[in-house]
Amino acid sequence: MDAHGQILMEEFRRRLPKLKELEAIALQRLEEALEQQHLEVTAIDHRVKKENSLAGKLELKGAKYQSIDDITDLLGLRVITFYTDDVDKVAALVAQTFDVDWSNSVDKRKLHELDSFGYNSLHYICHLPAGSADETLCRIPFEIQMRTALQHVWSTINHDTGYKSDVQIPREYLRQFGRLAGMLELIDDEFSRLRNSLADYRRRVQNLVASGQLDEVSLNADTWESYLQTRPLDRLNRRIAAVNQAEIFPTPLKPFLPILIALQMKTLGDVQRFIESNADDAYLLAVNQLGVTDLDILTESVGLQNLCIVQALKMGGGRPAIVRILDAVSTFGDNEVLAQSIYDHASALPFMNNK
Amino acid sequence: MNTTIKEQNGELVAVLDGRLDTAAAVQTEKDLQPLADCAGKNVVLDCNALEYISSSGLRLFLSVLKNAKGKGSHVFITGMNNDIRNVFAMTGFTNLFEFR
Repeated sequence: MDAHGQILMEEFRRRLPKLKELEAIALQRLEEALEQQHLEVTAIDHRVKKENSLAGKLELKGAKYQSIDDITDLLGLRVITFYTDDVDKVAALVAQTFDVDWSNSVDKRKLHELDSFGYNSLHYICHLPAGSADETLCRIPFEIQMRTALQHVWSTINHDTGYKSDVQIPREYLRQFGRLAGMLELIDDEFSRLRNSLADYRRRVQNLVASGQLDEVSLNADTWESYLQTRPLDRLNRRIAAVNQAEIFPTPLKPFLPILIALQMKTLGDVQRFIESNADDAYLLAVNQLGVTDLDILTESVGLQNLCIVQALKMGGGRPAIVRILDAVSTFGDNEVLAQSIYDHASALPFMNNK
Repeated sequence: MNTTIKEQNGELVAVLDGRLDTAAAVQTEKDLQPLADCAGKNVVLDCNALEYISSSGLRLFLSVLKNAKGKGSHVFITGMNNDIRNVFAMTGFTNLFEFR
């Protein structure tokens, strides 16, 4: 390293404590900004440049830098996103959170020729906004890289394999890297397209549910959740709770989905009819058990659990069907005795005797 | 109603012995207070010697669960007799807790 390089290295060593301080502040502000926007990312990497890495850089192109401030990646942060659209969202947040030096920032995604594929990443050179921290810290530049997980995988492998190697990589292998980059770009786009399609699908389902076109909506985890937002079980739960003036505690109803599917429900229309046609019997079954107690706290699952049991018994499933329902919705284990007790209560009710 | 708390295999175990009715709930709530500080440890409600549970008892179990969940801990119930199982099933509490 020449004398100029050694001066820069000395400046770097003096600046190291400030760089560490800046690293913590920049990371915290970035994490807070992402959290406020509910933007999920796979990882945020961060590092202050290692002395040997800087030495290598100075040996290669030390003359390019007049002062230590010209080296903009002494502190680097990297945000890795799930989706390619999110890279732009993160970029917008970064621009809002920090002062971006646009003249030195670069969008590598736009540097490719139409027929070339390779390193895709967005690099912003940033400062903490003036007045938002100690003035010395606000003057130090740092780099934020933004890319998708697939872009990250490609560039990490490419970097480890070729970039720092002393051996010239043959053209055929470079072409293979380029082909992989092209393929990953396609996959990234497909993931984004899939996410957008799913969001469209969810909106469509919500509209169908809201407008009552339930036979048009197949029953699955997404649609079940949308349907539950219309509170279809509230009336039955309130009826059951009224017996002991009980309070109703919320509980997730997701575990019931496999039971509904096992009970041969295919659309939300089937679920709606299942509730309507079994509500009175489910109410009687619940009251038959709760009426002789003074239990005045229930969970939201009480109506649905009784509905499922009634339907299973009407389908001729008997006690084994009750065991399967109890097994599916709890980790109780060994539900034979409990199922027998519920079966005995149900046996006294009209729906079991009018077949 | 007797309640004792012990630490066993890195878990906080509350051994409940007797009838957890409305009258016993106030004292049991105080006895279960050490479970409030369960961060980093799972909670086990040992019901092997529990004879009866009322709504007040269910509310107590619920508050133990809420507190533990807030701290990233799990609550396991172990050893319930058939009558108490029935109470859990008919109130829908079976779906809230994990059982061993």
